[in-house]
Amino acid sequence: MKESLLSVGIDLGTTTTQMIVSRLYLENTASPFAVPRMEICDREILYQSEPYFTPLRSADTLDAPAIEQILRSEYEKAGISPSDVKTGAVIITGETARKENARQVLTALSDLAGSFVVATAGPALESVLAARGAGADCYAEEHGVHVLHFDIGGGTSNLALYGPEGELLDTGCLNVGGRLLKFDKNGTITYVSPVLQGCRVGEKATPESLAPLLETLVQALEEAAGLRPVTALLAHFITDKTVELPDAPLVFSFSGGVADLIGKEAVDWLRYGDLGVLLGAAIGRSRLCKDGYVLGQQTLRATVVGAGSYSTELSGSTVSCTGAEFPLQGLAAIRLRESEERADPEILSRAIQKKLELYGDAPVVLSMKGQHSPGYSEILRLAEGISMGLTTRPVVIALEQDMAKALGQALRCHMGKETPIVCLDGLHIPEGSFLDIAAPVMGGTAVPVVVKTLAFS
Amino acid sequence: MDKQELKTLVAQLLREMDTDAPTVQTATQELPDLTKLDLRQEYHVAEPADKDAFLRLKKKTPARLGLGRCGARYKTASMLRFRADHAAAQDSVFSLVPKDFYEKNDLPFVQTMCKDKDQYLTRPDLGRRFDEQAQAVIRQVCGQSPRVLLVIGDGLSSNAITANALDCAAAIRQGLKSFGIELGKSLFIQYARVGAMDHIGEITDAELICMLVGERPGLVTSESMSAYITYRPRPGIAESKRTVVSNIHRQGTPAVEAGAHIAELLKTMLEKKASGIDLR
Repeated sequence: MKESLLSVGIDLGTTTTQMIVSRLYLENTASPFAVPRMEICDREILYQSEPYFTPLRSADTLDAPAIEQILRSEYEKAGISPSDVKTGAVIITGETARKENARQVLTALSDLAGSFVVATAGPALESVLAARGAGADCYAEEHGVHVLHFDIGGGTSNLALYGPEGELLDTGCLNVGGRLLKFDKNGTITYVSPVLQGCRVGEKATPESLAPLLETLVQALEEAAGLRPVTALLAHFITDKTVELPDAPLVFSFSGGVADLIGKEAVDWLRYGDLGVLLGAAIGRSRLCKDGYVLGQQTLRATVVGAGSYSTELSGSTVSCTGAEFPLQGLAAIRLRESEERADPEILSRAIQKKLELYGDAPVVLSMKGQHSPGYSEILRLAEGISMGLTTRPVVIALEQDMAKALGQALRCHMGKETPIVCLDGLHIPEGSFLDIAAPVMGGTAVPVVVKTLAFS
Repeated sequence: MDKQELKTLVAQLLREMDTDAPTVQTATQELPDLTKLDLRQEYHVAEPADKDAFLRLKKKTPARLGLGRCGARYKTASMLRFRADHAAAQDSVFSLVPKDFYEKNDLPFVQTMCKDKDQYLTRPDLGRRFDEQAQAVIRQVCGQSPRVLLVIGDGLSSNAITANALDCAAAIRQGLKSFGIELGKSLFIQYARVGAMDHIGEITDAELICMLVGERPGLVTSESMSAYITYRPRPGIAESKRTVVSNIHRQGTPAVEAGAHIAELLKTMLEKKASGIDLR
């Protein structure tokens, strides 16, 4: 039994807007004599758009009609229609996420792109998608090393740290990018990012005059990579946070538009009308590249490939979905602490109700760890607590441990057959994130989901 | 050296040996339990090139890799562990499911035509049939023409049954209830082969029978249980008509989750009136 899903990824970055179409192949990897185990076993990129410069109406607003037009024409070129698209993500990244109409444009695009193409933003997610699109996680696992990945785009550098088993350890984001300054053909500054001080629009710049600025940008990256003692400089450039480094040797890997320019000293510095060429050259000369480095399998396209191919996860393969209509979108995660999970039904239900008060009538997903190989009495206790406490409909629960089908059936007995219940496992949904759930696949055994953060600053 | 000198010397020697000799106390001290060690986290090759990488690989398999060796042979600890695991597997085959298990959990007891474990192991045919007395119990407990029957058989591992059967059966019962399917009383069968369900099918005219049965233990776990499910089982039915869900244990599919999966399978089989390859 093999199925596939058509997925799109759209990245509205600081510099470029891109789209890819990919196909995700799903397969049951368990033996025919065991409980099924569905996995995304392969990803194939079918179509990649040209990188467009992200259309702006002014320095602070996105040109929504122009962006929509790009999407329409690219769908036509790719030969797909929104109804073919089963999953995917539109991600708004870097400085573009700070534009005034970012949220509206994002929502409009995700509606236009397909019924289950989710709108996402947020530096942590961006870091993960870019690193996975570039293959940094696979590199770490194959070589058994710690990899610190830098996706250096126009507005931000997204950091993701992977451990030797390919596991995500931390993410971070710095305001270091190739498009913090823009120039005209003569090298006169036409745009200065709010994160920079000491440069003015209208000033004439040269590689020599920009050298001190580049030095500070590279220093900030070196400090984040543990190659220099941390100073106030790093704090100045941090967007939300930086990564906590392990006590182990690191391999540095790069993607993003600037990654292509690392070590390219001979390129005309005004070729892209921004800092990119000079920043790439400066990184190439820095401590980051002194002992060799890894260039991602994708560079300029890493984030969009991540959005298209790696944003969708598959739930565990024994799940319970009854009576709910899919897709379910924008469910806010309320997460139980382990002590609450293990408490008596009364306490458990009160803990749930208390968390629900924060969300009013908004749709929620109850997220928890669950237990490894629980006894039946555990299932009953959880079902009793949840059915008393969780008053939102549909009832949506996401667990990490393999127990969702049993819990779903127990809830059905408690809450009645008419109550729509979606109970999933194999998923880690942190507090404060959002969950989108598509219709079940593979004969109802598993469910594609996207876990996202929506952080607009 | 005269006789007296010799006597003194021997006595002295014996005294010295006595103080050097290990005291009786050490022998009664408990030895560490070999089988408690998690082999997936053990690596014993001397001077490894990359121990951590090997340990990462070991997480993916229960195979006994990276044990180190002495000359051409494995080490004493590896040999003892292998024999300990083998002994646990044999114990599981040869021991009986304790009386408490079925008496305290309201599982009426029946026995196949096997008289004891030895006969059970050597005469598979007798493990598939019931005598008149057992047939009467089956008739009384299961009634006539039930839709679904759930029975529990010891099979080749009593450990598998005591570890998993109750949680799994409770989840199956609850799952069926959530689908509006009532399940009657379950039986416990001693000396059960999978084919015993065929005779029960004949006796009761059941539409669908699910048997939870202990799997032949291996060296990884002695607690693995399977569910064999057959639509209209009758003696002589082809094995291809059975659906099996295997590997139900702590490290495999957890018992309750397997139970929930089995409940849904049972519902599908009742709808499609089929099991085994007919279900596809």
